[in-house]
Amino acid sequence: MRPAATANAQSEPQFAALVDALTADPGRRGQLTDLLREDHPIYDQRGAATVVRMRGWVLLALARAGVSDAALIFVLEELDTGIDAYLVAAAARALRSYAHPDENLAPFVMRALTNIRYRDEPLCFEHYGDYAVSSTGTSPVRELLMTLAWLGPHARGVLPELEALRAERGGLARKYRIDIDRALHAIRGADQVDEPAAGSCCGPPTGLGNMVSRPSDSRGGVQSIAAAVFEDHGGDRIAFQEFFRGQPSIVVFFYTRCDNPLKCSLTVTKLARIQNLLDAQGLADRIHTAAISYDPAYDLPERLRVYGRDRGVVMNAHHRMLRAIDGMGALCAHFGLGVNFIESLVNRHRIEAYILDAEGRVAVSFERVHWDEGEVVGRAVEVLKEKVTFEMPP
Amino acid sequence: MDVELQINNTPNPKARFVSWVPSPCRIRVTNPLGAPAPIVNLKITGVSAAGGGAVVFRGGATGAFASSVTLPVPTNGTSVPFFVAGKFGQPSTNNGDVTIQARNGTTLVGSVPVMVRIRKNANTLTTGERNRFVAAFAQLNNQGLGRFADFRNMHVSVSLPQAHGAPGFLPWHRAYLLDLERELQAIDPSVALPYWRFDQPAPNIFTPDFFGASNALGTVQFAATNPLQFWKTDGVQGVNRRPLFNTATAPPGLRTEAQTIAIGTQFPAFRTMEGNPHGFAHTSFGGSIQDPATAPKDPLFFLLHCNVDRLWAKWQRQNGRFNPAVAASYDSNPNNRPGHNLPDTMWPWNGVTGGTRPPTAPGGAMAASPCVGAPGPQPRVQDCLDYQGAIGAPARMGFDYDDAKFI
Amino acid sequence: MAKRKTAKRAGKAGSAVRKSARAALSVATSARRTVKQRVAAMAEAPLAVVESDKDLQAMLGVLRNRDEPIKVRLAALQSLGAAAFSVIAFESCRGDYLATLRQVADDPDPELRQRVLGILMREKDGFAQKKLLDGLKNPAKALVPPAKALQLLSYDVHAEAYAAARAILAKPPNDDARREALRLLAADATAAPLFEKLLRDKKELREIRQIAASALHALNPEKLQQRAREIILDKSDYDDIKATSLMALATFGDDEALGKDKALLNSVSRFGAGKAPAKYKQGARRFLRKFGR
Repeated sequence: MRPAATANAQSEPQFAALVDALTADPGRRGQLTDLLREDHPIYDQRGAATVVRMRGWVLLALARAGVSDAALIFVLEELDTGIDAYLVAAAARALRSYAHPDENLAPFVMRALTNIRYRDEPLCFEHYGDYAVSSTGTSPVRELLMTLAWLGPHARGVLPELEALRAERGGLARKYRIDIDRALHAIRGADQVDEPAAGSCCGPPTGLGNMVSRPSDSRGGVQSIAAAVFEDHGGDRIAFQEFFRGQPSIVVFFYTRCDNPLKCSLTVTKLARIQNLLDAQGLADRIHTAAISYDPAYDLPERLRVYGRDRGVVMNAHHRMLRAIDGMGALCAHFGLGVNFIESLVNRHRIEAYILDAEGRVAVSFERVHWDEGEVVGRAVEVLKEKVTFEMPP
Repeated sequence: MDVELQINNTPNPKARFVSWVPSPCRIRVTNPLGAPAPIVNLKITGVSAAGGGAVVFRGGATGAFASSVTLPVPTNGTSVPFFVAGKFGQPSTNNGDVTIQARNGTTLVGSVPVMVRIRKNANTLTTGERNRFVAAFAQLNNQGLGRFADFRNMHVSVSLPQAHGAPGFLPWHRAYLLDLERELQAIDPSVALPYWRFDQPAPNIFTPDFFGASNALGTVQFAATNPLQFWKTDGVQGVNRRPLFNTATAPPGLRTEAQTIAIGTQFPAFRTMEGNPHGFAHTSFGGSIQDPATAPKDPLFFLLHCNVDRLWAKWQRQNGRFNPAVAASYDSNPNNRPGHNLPDTMWPWNGVTGGTRPPTAPGGAMAASPCVGAPGPQPRVQDCLDYQGAIGAPARMGFDYDDAKFI
Repeated sequence: MAKRKTAKRAGKAGSAVRKSARAALSVATSARRTVKQRVAAMAEAPLAVVESDKDLQAMLGVLRNRDEPIKVRLAALQSLGAAAFSVIAFESCRGDYLATLRQVADDPDPELRQRVLGILMREKDGFAQKKLLDGLKNPAKALVPPAKALQLLSYDVHAEAYAAARAILAKPPNDDARREALRLLAADATAAPLFEKLLRDKKELREIRQIAASALHALNPEKLQQRAREIILDKSDYDDIKATSLMALATFGDDEALGKDKALLNSVSRFGAGKAPAKYKQGARRFLRKFGR
């Protein structure tokens, strides 16, 4: 969080011009990807709708310049969890500029189609910040169907879903019939692609980089955050080192006012499933879990408790819903959180889950696209087996 | 001699609520001291408080009801079954305002207080009924942190296809209202969800003491004694509701009750009432209630839908459409989406997430009732048709409307 | 354009209803009919809208057409809104519907503007949000009065409206705008001290103090309980805010602590026996009964 006085002064037209300049310059195009980081200072003190316009313009720039391997995760993130029509449509269009279409991309596109179809709206991509006042242009559903057609046989894994969509009662607008048929035709078309590998349906493409594992000797320190103080769901205060030192922990971030059910609500629901897995393996006392709010000023203990309870989270001394009383800045720095704010309110955040080692250092991070609960627990168990050498001051 | 009277076949005092539908009950002798014979004839009657509800009885699962029933009851403790129902047209106004008494001759040998708990027209509630209802609702909301948050989260953009624009519209909302009503009853068991009869003037609803009076801007204002003044949803204070009609009258343009019930005798025709009167009742206002994704932010939503459900109940009764096995009772179609077919479980109570269902399932299973077992924790569409148990007694869901008789 | 398959699949039972809906739509969109006839027919039209592209376009055309009588256009908006509740069936109409709403958001008729912007804001529409914020910053561009703009912006907690609300609060053009600015700021986590001050200010309007109590309940519930108790103990404060305070304690307070608070119970007894309006005194008596008094 930054005080309003330090808000980035660049206007939206200036930002749009910057993006256009980067797109036009092959030597600087790589910086477009950097502009998709939620914590980029350029998004500080912007409203959520402004952030949508800005990120959307970057995604459209990528659609023109070509999505690199490094940028792919941002595009898939939007397809995986996005509920804003403009961003999802821009991401769908951007994906078509990626040089390596493969079958792992199709489930993301299909999932986006399921998520966005009842939020479909007309869009205008011609100029920065334009809103469509006519339905003759594009829309997220149209962009996603075009992307499925672009994937062609690579999307064979989602063919049954698309066929069901075509057959269902009511369903997509008649005007999309030609887009669906085109996608179906493209998918059923040439036969040069192997069947998708078993188990590849739901995860990101191999090597995508949504998970980062850090060997013990390359993990950062905890000095800057050791003194950070939290308040938990019951109103009890606890310092970072009191809760996170001595055993590994699984940490997720959320805030109760998040209006994207595919993000915070689902993240905390998945944390409850993680707790069940830990319990089933007899690890509930050996690996801590925590859900930490991005919005500590608003998320008072009762809000934390109710939010967790409603999503099945177990809350006790080892498993807590937390808000930072002191040290939110240190918290952002320690985890490298993908979040930005307008005043104290979140304007955009990514999905993020972390495994801390017994010293409270970040050992593994899962970012942007949904993680598998079993994999998170498996990684946490690996961290549990590490030899512990405490370096933290007592 | 003492006897025990079990209402809804349970000794649980929380189950002492009945509706127009016969509740299975039983009586047994718990202390035979003074009994004149191994079997005694006990007369069971209902005694109503002034202005209170009234009950009727019968000895078996069928037959006529009467104001009393006399049963031969063994003194060895064996239970004897009987049935009690609210006397149509005379619901309770307070918890326990009817007493079921058992007498041996003139001697009172046992009694239990019960309530004929019925969904009523909100416009004609007593002051006490109104105050208890808003108090329970405010507590359920509890600054947006109470259990109400789940109900809000059940009816948002991502979940609307589970509930709207397809055959499951009416069954889904029946379950939704029942779940909410049971949560209210967990706070105050004397509360039943009232309905806003939108085809009639309802000036008593739109007052500061009840659902609030809207100013010209559409901000709803509540009396200082009304706990709904603390209402919050989505982290935002209060209620925005701008009636586009004079609240001393009924909104114009809505189908009347008679017109709605006459839409057609087959469910595919009847369910078009989702547009008019249902949709038109919503769009008779500006504010949250006007749009599908925000409508439950306004507590009036639940009274509006209670009337929609009541209209379905009356249509069912008029046309005999309680049986899911009868084609005209529902709109079955092989291309219905999941959640809109009779055997489908309904989200969110089924806990199913992902795919064609929303990503999370707020609120968990359907709240249980101490009085009835139906529709179960994970109701299916077909479980929500026979709400009175007219086809099968175990299907009764434990609610009734003041003007919709039991078959 | 041909009718969609949905209508074709409908059995005989539904076809009569659908036929009737199409006939009603034909009346509703016909300039040859009277305004009264058309408005009445709009009520039967939602079903036709979701089942036929042609009928949808006809209805949207009425809404867009500034030459149509405003009563008919408002009725068309209501009919489309009713149809929008049939979410699955309306899926195919949504794009055209939203585009049309944006087109008429700056219509000369203020009632239509207000209703349309309300629908869009409840969709969290970026277009409407931008229009409203622009209007607050530059009144010459405002599509609705400031109070209405603030009320509509409050539908989206993520709208960047707090700064605008504070600016209105600093120099309110009227009481409505001040009230709506406060209602919007009731979701601002940093505003608890502001509401605490307003609640304690006996010179404030009763309505503002009531809003402050409700806001404080969300932002700092413990503080509200403290202040509510003080207000009830304060013999010089007003009956209505005492009633609100009592309601806060009765509904959300800690019963165990309240039951032991003799000073509070005595004050409530005095309130219940005093000259306050009857319903306030009834509230006091209900409160006391809860604690056996």
